[in-house]
Amino acid sequence: MTPGKGGPVLEVRDLARCFGGRDGRDDALAVIEGLSLAVAEGEFVTVAGPSGSGKSTLLNMIAQIDRPSEGTIHLRGETILAPGKADLNPGWNCQIGYVTQEDNLLPWRRLLDNILLPLRAQRRLDADARTRVAALIETAGLTGFERYYPHELSGGMRKRASLVRTLAYDPPVILMDEPFGALDAQTRTELHADLLRLWSLKRKTIVFVTHDITEAIALGDRVLVLSRAPARVVDEYRVDLPRPRDVDHLIAEPAFARLYESIRQSLARQAPKARRA
Amino acid sequence: MRIVVYRAVILALILACWQGASLVFGAHWIPAPAAVMRAFWLQAASGELWYHARYTLAAAVIGFLIGGLPGALLPFLIRRLATLRAILDPYLIAGYGAPKVALTPLFILWFGIGLESKVALVASVVFFLVFFITLAGLDSVDQKLIAAARVFGAGPGLIAREIVWPSAIPYVLTGLRVAAPYAIGTAVVGELISSNRGLGYSIQAAATNFEPAKLFVGVVALALIVLVLNAVLDLLEKRLLSWRPTGGIAERAQTSF
Ligand SMILES: Nc1ncnc2c1ncn2[C@@H]1O[C@H](COP(=O)(O)OP(=O)(O)OP(=O)(O)O)[C@@H](O)[C@H]1O
Ligand SMILES: [Mg+2]
Repeated sequence: MTPGKGGPVLEVRDLARCFGGRDGRDDALAVIEGLSLAVAEGEFVTVAGPSGSGKSTLLNMIAQIDRPSEGTIHLRGETILAPGKADLNPGWNCQIGYVTQEDNLLPWRRLLDNILLPLRAQRRLDADARTRVAALIETAGLTGFERYYPHELSGGMRKRASLVRTLAYDPPVILMDEPFGALDAQTRTELHADLLRLWSLKRKTIVFVTHDITEAIALGDRVLVLSRAPARVVDEYRVDLPRPRDVDHLIAEPAFARLYESIRQSLARQAPKARRA
Repeated sequence: MRIVVYRAVILALILACWQGASLVFGAHWIPAPAAVMRAFWLQAASGELWYHARYTLAAAVIGFLIGGLPGALLPFLIRRLATLRAILDPYLIAGYGAPKVALTPLFILWFGIGLESKVALVASVVFFLVFFITLAGLDSVDQKLIAAARVFGAGPGLIAREIVWPSAIPYVLTGLRVAAPYAIGTAVVGELISSNRGLGYSIQAAATNFEPAKLFVGVVALALIVLVLNAVLDLLEKRLLSWRPTGGIAERAQTSF
């Protein structure tokens, strides 16, 4: 866990999360156990792990909509979450943005109103913000759909809208849970390029969850591989591919192929025991 | 357009069966549709129908408002007070389950045989219906939407306005819609039991005087009133829920996934 330049912005120490057995039965399920990670200022960290390994659970706790059973979370050295700590403070005063796995758009609000809602909640909605949002909508290819209701948009468009909703209010740390999961390869590559462009302008600190290895390498400065539940970080790969990256042609590079193979094997070791034997 | 045609066909069928039954059993027991229509027209023209109908309507509407407004608002107040809810729960269930019509004699004792006792009766029925349906709506609010909103800085006020209220509206409307015919029906039952005015009274009087056509007029008038009320609620729903998909099942389903 050696972050690059500067101290870590976000640090997770010895995190554990159990989901209690129902009706007092003693079958509590440890989803995360002894998970530690650190993310440096402006770093783009991707987290890969098998389905059900607790990736969303991890992000929920960092975003403070769920409480850990053990361990602490720190933001710029300040302890923002510990098991005994009083009330949860989701988003830590809008310092941590969270693009959830489901789009969580309000079905009764049009696309634009959905995207403007965080700015409205934070009383930061002015002409300037509207201009920035319009530019983001353009980048995400949603221009012309501002007045559509979510149910009138495609699944991919809704995902992009939920991404834009978080980018629009500009939190310094952003968590993303498979934001491009439901998209076709082509759109996905385009959005990777867009996201990298936006990131290179603002240098947000990003924790990006995915189970797509290509995506993990193409976007990240570092790739963390989680174990099967109870999850912790089992492997860590530094991605030394130069930036700005041309996502389209990255795949052809030998460095990419080597990295891909190591991560693939690392994930394969996390395959269910039955199949490994 | 086809719907209108089919509806007309069904209406014709109902009238035909009615006419047939009238012929088979005799007009003394089942007056023919034409006779009922004539009686309807006569009563409407003389103002007698409206005299009774507006009394029943007044009882139903006032009782609907007195019961419906707290029924729709109270759940919003006790939504976050889990302890209070747990304490009140058995009483509310008992209040919901108790047959309010059995309370009619008590209400008449308290409020007399005038409008007040019917209003009280209607309000007691409407309140519990709307209350429970609205409460169910509030419990079904998507907690993930609320969590996401809190992350981007939404306070309790904004969450109530932007998330809880819009997701509860369909339930509130369903509650009102279910309660509306009950309001009319309960007012009529109150009048049947004891009154000197209203459609229930008019029906009771018609039965006592052996005027079956007049009795049927009362029933038809009640059916028409319920239809009109429903249309009004329809309009309200269309305005409040304009965001909802109007297309087929697939399009509707998409919003919930
Ligand atoms: N509220 C909960 N109660 C009980 N168990 C839960 C709860 N939330 C998650 N889990 C369990 O925790 C495990 C990890 O879930 P999580 O959603 O974090 O996985 P994930 O890595 O995000 O998977 P995916 O890649 O499919 O999204 C699962 O086995 C799930 O059943
Ligand atoms: Mg997940």
